[in-house]
Amino acid sequence: MEMSSLGGIPYYILEFGDELVYFSPYTVSLFLLALVFTMFAVMAKPERQVDIAFGGDAYYAKETSLQELRFRRFMAIACGFASMGAMLTGDIFNFTLFISLVGICNVGIVAAVKNRHVQNAAYQYGIVALSATVPLFGAAALIAATTGTLSMVELWSSATPAVPLVVKALLVLGVMGEGMAPFYAAKAEMFRAPGAPYVIMCSLSSLLIFLRVIEVVLVI
Amino acid sequence: MWQEFSIGVLLVFIAAVIAFFALVVEKDDLHRLLLLDLVEVSSLGIIALLGTDLAEALILPGLVVGIAELLALSQIYVIKEGFRDKVVQGLNIEVIQADAPLIISVLLICYGVVLSGFTGGGVAGLGVVFYFMARGHREHFELLEMASGISWATWIFAFFVFMFIPEYWMFALFLAAIGILLKVMVKLSLSATIWGDGNE
Amino acid sequence: MIIQRISRIISNYEMIMPLFAGAVSVLFVVAIFSLPLPYYEEQLYPKTIDPASPLNPYERGGPPFTQVTINDQYPENSPTAGYVTSYLTPFSWYLANTTLYLGTTIVAHPGGILDEILYNTRGLDTVVETTILFIAFAIASYLYRKG
Repeated sequence: MEMSSLGGIPYYILEFGDELVYFSPYTVSLFLLALVFTMFAVMAKPERQVDIAFGGDAYYAKETSLQELRFRRFMAIACGFASMGAMLTGDIFNFTLFISLVGICNVGIVAAVKNRHVQNAAYQYGIVALSATVPLFGAAALIAATTGTLSMVELWSSATPAVPLVVKALLVLGVMGEGMAPFYAAKAEMFRAPGAPYVIMCSLSSLLIFLRVIEVVLVI
Repeated sequence: MWQEFSIGVLLVFIAAVIAFFALVVEKDDLHRLLLLDLVEVSSLGIIALLGTDLAEALILPGLVVGIAELLALSQIYVIKEGFRDKVVQGLNIEVIQADAPLIISVLLICYGVVLSGFTGGGVAGLGVVFYFMARGHREHFELLEMASGISWATWIFAFFVFMFIPEYWMFALFLAAIGILLKVMVKLSLSATIWGDGNE
Repeated sequence: MIIQRISRIISNYEMIMPLFAGAVSVLFVVAIFSLPLPYYEEQLYPKTIDPASPLNPYERGGPPFTQVTINDQYPENSPTAGYVTSYLTPFSWYLANTTLYLGTTIVAHPGGILDEILYNTRGLDTVVETTILFIAFAIASYLYRKG
């Protein structure tokens, strides 16, 4: 198998049965980025939103309940791990599963805020994320059907038939659907809502999965 | 060039186009949620057309992801629409007020544990569902959450046994079977508890 | 002007779902026109149907504790592949030897649905899948209790 590909030559391949997890310069750098931000999510303290009463010098800070804080931190960390997995995995179907895991973690981060407006955004995003699994899984199954393998390492080599362009497009569209979270987070003004730091994970994870899917689509 | 595979794919693609078009047109949030279930079917169809044992193994994750996200989404929907205030009582049927639910549930759970695996989880879960629906529930919720966590951990552990000490595949198989039993049971029973009068 | 109008439509998050669904359906229409797709004949894990076997639709090989040959991607990574598939509980094994129709209830014991691919060779998929279920459950129960 030839390893001359966009992502560089893997330093190391971890083997889980049929599913390879590979560490190439590209995947490792994305992995480290995800790792660093997950560490931030572990350490960060939530921001307190401060409302200032106009026309006076009174202000009050909104408290984030401990339970909400813990839940959103848990979701942010889970999202970090999911993005790390999506960066490293070397199997198409496994990749799509990690992408859906990122999607549902983002739904969780957004949905934890007790606010009708935010809940509505979370719901809309959840619907998009769920319907995006159709092109995602469909693309993975079509790749298996047309090439006879799901392993990215096998797909690099010229021995397997080329993946049809339309199937690649389905994969990219699926990832786009799962990675729409920042849009909703921004629209729901989540960045200014209490407990802000965890929302960063939404943006970061979708950035990372976009970067990874570009590599995947170009090498297969 | 038009083999059976391509004909099947054509049919599923047409179904997908129809389902997604329905999503474009539909404006009501609840109907969108219901349509999603329809849309999911087309992805399962594409996977099934693979026609190998691999397809069977891929369908299960595909199905589970759909069910899991529907669970979370429907809960968000309930919160969003503010349906929490509508109290639902247990079933008000005479037989169910007596000891019948307990006996039937215990039988179902025992049989489910004997079966083990996916179906076992289904049968045992049905027992728990029946009990909760008949009796209502108070403090079981945290217990269910914990069982879910434990089954998850068991599963992960079984996976690592399979991968790193494959000689003990038998042990890993049993662990995984127990994990899936707990998992399916918990998820099913959740559907029974979550409709009741929640946080007291 | 047009950009302004488009961005106004997009900025309404109620519109994203129709937009995305529209994009997917257009892509599926394109996919229909790019049919037929070639089907690769030498698939992994091929399925065979043997109507004479008591395990019929799920027949995956011999008696318990024998290693069946599995056509997986990297056989060297799964040295014990083939054992899980053939495993039956003693009761199921008894049934398989007495009746021809165990296959119809095969899901009722480990070794049927608990299969090789899910647990062993493609175990990582199952780990991620259970994690997704776990996360969804956590979201639902958190909202349920605190909503």
